[in-house]
Amino acid sequence: MHPNLSFEQAPPIDVPVRFLLTAPWFGIAAGLLVAWSGELAIASRWTPQALAIVHLLVVGFLLQAMSGALFQFVPVAAGGNVWRPRLVAGILHPALALAACLLVAGLYAVDSWLLRLAAGLFLAAISFQVLVIGSALMRTPARGPTIAALRLALAGLAATVALGATLAEGLGGGHAWPIVGLTNVHAAWGLGGWVLMLVIGVSYFVVPMFQLTPPYPGAFATWAPRVLVVSLGLWSLQLVAPGVRWPIALALLVAAAYAGTTLWLQARRRRNVSDATFLFFRGAMLSLLAAVAVCAASLLSDLPMLTWWLGVLALGGTFVSLVSGMAYKIVPFLNWLHLQREAGIGGVVPNMREMISDSAQKTHLRLHFASIGLLLAAGIEPAAAMAGGLVFALANGVFAWNLIGAARRYRTFRDRVRAVGASPGS
Amino acid sequence: MPHLIDGRDMVPPEPLEATLAALESLADGDEIVLLLYCQPHPLFAILRREGYAWREETRADGTREFRIRKA
Repeated sequence: MHPNLSFEQAPPIDVPVRFLLTAPWFGIAAGLLVAWSGELAIASRWTPQALAIVHLLVVGFLLQAMSGALFQFVPVAAGGNVWRPRLVAGILHPALALAACLLVAGLYAVDSWLLRLAAGLFLAAISFQVLVIGSALMRTPARGPTIAALRLALAGLAATVALGATLAEGLGGGHAWPIVGLTNVHAAWGLGGWVLMLVIGVSYFVVPMFQLTPPYPGAFATWAPRVLVVSLGLWSLQLVAPGVRWPIALALLVAAAYAGTTLWLQARRRRNVSDATFLFFRGAMLSLLAAVAVCAASLLSDLPMLTWWLGVLALGGTFVSLVSGMAYKIVPFLNWLHLQREAGIGGVVPNMREMISDSAQKTHLRLHFASIGLLLAAGIEPAAAMAGGLVFALANGVFAWNLIGAARRYRTFRDRVRAVGASPGS
Repeated sequence: MPHLIDGRDMVPPEPLEATLAALESLADGDEIVLLLYCQPHPLFAILRREGYAWREETRADGTREFRIRKA
């Protein structure tokens, strides 16, 4: 079974692209903050610097990119009819960006007023997002593992934000919930129930299509999201029964199985194309396997470097890599399709590879993985954090530059196509 | 003789690019045969708008064969 794309329901191109263009700026900020904070970012996951860096990546970089991808993916791949996408994106995009900035500022400055403000804004914005995207996903006639994973991912996002808002309230002294347990459950739902779940569901679709691999095995595709959500539900029991840690092993197994299966599929691809998307995906899957091993080790040991490595491998090595790799397919593909729509048959539309050059993509790729290597080294030699942070920021700067270049090229070609269409005798 | 495009080992949007290029020189009564593993909805939208018709058959190995001609 191979996936199908429906382009007739696609939103205007600016809807997904505005989110994708914003994401790298949070990556730049995260890299600079790592460089600025040095050892304070590495010493513990509880320092204001570490909390701010993590949230720049998860509610800045990842939430922006994944929200943009959902606006495109739900109507096109899942057949869901999103209500007034331009209006919704016009509200959500600035609301999520502002909420992310407030949250990071609140965490860095340890300011409970800013944290509560950010939590309120996130609750409102994400509720709106879940309502609009969720209703599109519930009404679609399409069925299958991708749809199931997308629905679960949206539920995971809602759970993550609700837990995060509870944490913000607790940090402000608003209640007496166990902060450590609440943080563990919040982080697991965020990384597992939202980000990993969405990545798995989207991979079922895009890996066979863009990397020319066989499809994911049916049993894996059906069961991986179910096992993941059950394991997170059991992990959440620690809120009422402290010490319950074993369910996370199930979630780790799903993550390892997803990474292993994707690498296995990549090894069986029908055409030997090693473009930036393929390499970003391969690096991400190796990083995810390493993150699983480090997470398992961190359950048995209190070495502080394990937490740092887990953060670098899961957030930077896995999820930032995946988003970057996918963006290099999504953005040129959308440009090409929207230009083709304008030009019609016989119209001259530039090749997809002209939107972002292969060498520009690979420059980003090399800088990105070099930064991951340096950041991992910082777990042993904290002085490497400065270089790692700066290279991570530089990689995201190249990412932003590449995406802006693609947007400019789209406008130039679109104006040219329109000029030809409007000229006398055309 | 139909113009054959085997898009099964092509990366999107290569099959669409090849089909659109072939459509430019398609004579009345001639056919383009496009082989894919998926439903090319973006192409359908263009064909519908530009006045082309197509028939689809699925082979035993999952290959979808699309026969495209002027409507």
